[in-house]
Amino acid sequence: MMDGTRQGDIRLVGLVKRYHDVTAVDGIDLEVPPGEFFTLLGPSGCGKTTTLRVVAGFERPDEGQILLDGEDMSHTPPHKRRVNTVFQSYALFPHKSVADNIGFGLRYQRVTKDETRRKVQEACAMVRLQGLEHRRPGQLSGGQQQRVALARALVLEPPVLLLDEPLGALDARLRLDLQVELKRIQEQLEVTFIYVTHDQDEALTMSDRVAVMRGGDIEQCGEPRELYESPATAFVANFLGASNLVPVSVAESNGGGARLGMGSFSLRAETCALGPGADAVAMIRPENVRLEAHGADGENRVPGMVEEVVYLGFHQEVRVRLATGTLVKVDVPNEDGAVEREQGDPVSVHMPPKHLRVLAADDAVPAAPTAAAVEQVPAA
Amino acid sequence: MSTGAASVPAAATSRRISLRTRLSNPWGRPRFLALTTWLYILWSLLPVLLAIRFAFNEGRSRTSLQGWSLRWFWQDGTLSVYHDPTLQAALRHSLTLAAIVMVIATPLGTALALGMRRWHGHGSGVANIVLLLPLVTPELVFAVGMFLLFTTAFGFIGLGTLAQAIGQVTFTLSWVVLIVRGRLVTIGRDVEEAAADLGAPPMHVVGRVLVPLLVPAMLASLLVSFALSIDDFVVAQYLASGADTTTVPMRIYSQARGGPTPALNALATIMLVVSLLALVLAYVVYRALTRGEQQRGTAFEQLATMEAR
Repeated sequence: MMDGTRQGDIRLVGLVKRYHDVTAVDGIDLEVPPGEFFTLLGPSGCGKTTTLRVVAGFERPDEGQILLDGEDMSHTPPHKRRVNTVFQSYALFPHKSVADNIGFGLRYQRVTKDETRRKVQEACAMVRLQGLEHRRPGQLSGGQQQRVALARALVLEPPVLLLDEPLGALDARLRLDLQVELKRIQEQLEVTFIYVTHDQDEALTMSDRVAVMRGGDIEQCGEPRELYESPATAFVANFLGASNLVPVSVAESNGGGARLGMGSFSLRAETCALGPGADAVAMIRPENVRLEAHGADGENRVPGMVEEVVYLGFHQEVRVRLATGTLVKVDVPNEDGAVEREQGDPVSVHMPPKHLRVLAADDAVPAAPTAAAVEQVPAA
Repeated sequence: MSTGAASVPAAATSRRISLRTRLSNPWGRPRFLALTTWLYILWSLLPVLLAIRFAFNEGRSRTSLQGWSLRWFWQDGTLSVYHDPTLQAALRHSLTLAAIVMVIATPLGTALALGMRRWHGHGSGVANIVLLLPLVTPELVFAVGMFLLFTTAFGFIGLGTLAQAIGQVTFTLSWVVLIVRGRLVTIGRDVEEAAADLGAPPMHVVGRVLVPLLVPAMLASLLVSFALSIDDFVVAQYLASGADTTTVPMRIYSQARGGPTPALNALATIMLVVSLLALVLAYVVYRALTRGEQQRGTAFEQLATMEAR
């Protein structure tokens, strides 16, 4: 026990899960303090769902420990674990009413009948399902079914709730509503949430901390802002939000800053962890790139030509082909007085040094598409 | 209707063109398909309808129509199904045997299907195939084998009702396993996991979740094993021990050579009605039980596909 009162401290120690010769989870170490909204984020096949299933007890780990409040539960069968799961498919019992679904687990907690009824009522109220207690799951909408699944798990007051892509099957609008509600419920109950998703928006909006997974291991773990603003690898930068990954070579690197070569141009970055000579990518978010009039002078400015303008409502995405041949995406807000760009316009692309992050090149992560150098662009 | 417009100028040839285009018109109704289907349905029902018609024949003939009566059901004092002790005994034995078979095969097959679902290790693949082998084994081979078994190695069982029941359960089981497994696939693993996750020990997962969800499949299994048993001739024939273990198909077959009367048709009609009633009952109950579930197709289609699996 951590402090005796708050429960729901989960620790994974060297967790490994193999299926025949495929290693789905490859030695994960993780610590989730009580009451945290923790998200496992990654593309399909990265091992996030398997990790969750191992914690739930549906799969047995090949190596490692799962500690709940300091107690190893890797050999406890699922029905004796103090964790509950919300499934992507909801997994409601179709032959039972909403109330019976929610009350299913209470039977194993030695709760009186009156108490059960009261708890089911409370759970219904919490997820706003009042009045639907006597319906069957088949008579509910997808969003309502998801609420039943949530209530069914939460009514047992588990210290840790596991959620496996719970919003995956819902349409976009409903997802947003339920995201807000999930967060509200999590904060109200102070339950540890371990949330699995491949949706970066979900991960960013709800989580206290996010672990980005790749190939059965954790690539980077931190607060959403930290992951978004200072991704440690090209994979994380690419997976979380839109990013430009410009192939560069490190010319000089000293303590903090670095000088990067990009074709015949030179860029400065304020931070760089790589040594000189390394093949690297310079990462910059589209919203941090500035478009200036063609011929603008100064450091980190590269001439280019507008290749495409995509209208996206509150902003436009301008795709600029740099003189080096690299395509860079630039977010330009649609506000009064914004300069309208058109296809074929020559521009100067400004990539401020403080927004440039130098990351090791990663073969598996595609860098920005590069064409042969564009000759029509007049030299700056 | 583009064909009409095209054929207006040449009024003389319009008829020929429209006939040809009508036949090859991709938007037209599939008349030929419909016709073929209806012809087939008529053809397949014809012998059944004919047999039923003669059950109500007033005369003794099974080949020429002689008015209508219920003579062969119970009115005839000696030869009707109701009054002929051999026909009555056959009917009683067929129904008893079918009842025994369905009551044993359904729970046993369900348990097997559940077991096969859990068993992932070595040999499960082989067991899977062996379990379904009776579906393709020639019935005659199977029956001869059973006969040898009950007269030699398992001689203590001997021939008779018990042997017939064991034999029929053995080949019916494959169907039950097939039906229940089909339903298990649609139920999915996640409800089992959800139940365990909510604290249900393994026995409760089966009792509170799986079995209630399997009721429709078990019902279909009861019906199918009942129908298979009633239909079965070969196994029942080989494993019969005497007159008191004669089933309806056996009686009809043996009497067809002696002095057949329309009472045999009446007997067959009764069996048909019993089977149909069982089907309707299964359909009604299945529909009532799966009400509210989100499923594709009508309940009847599901029941039909279940049986086909």
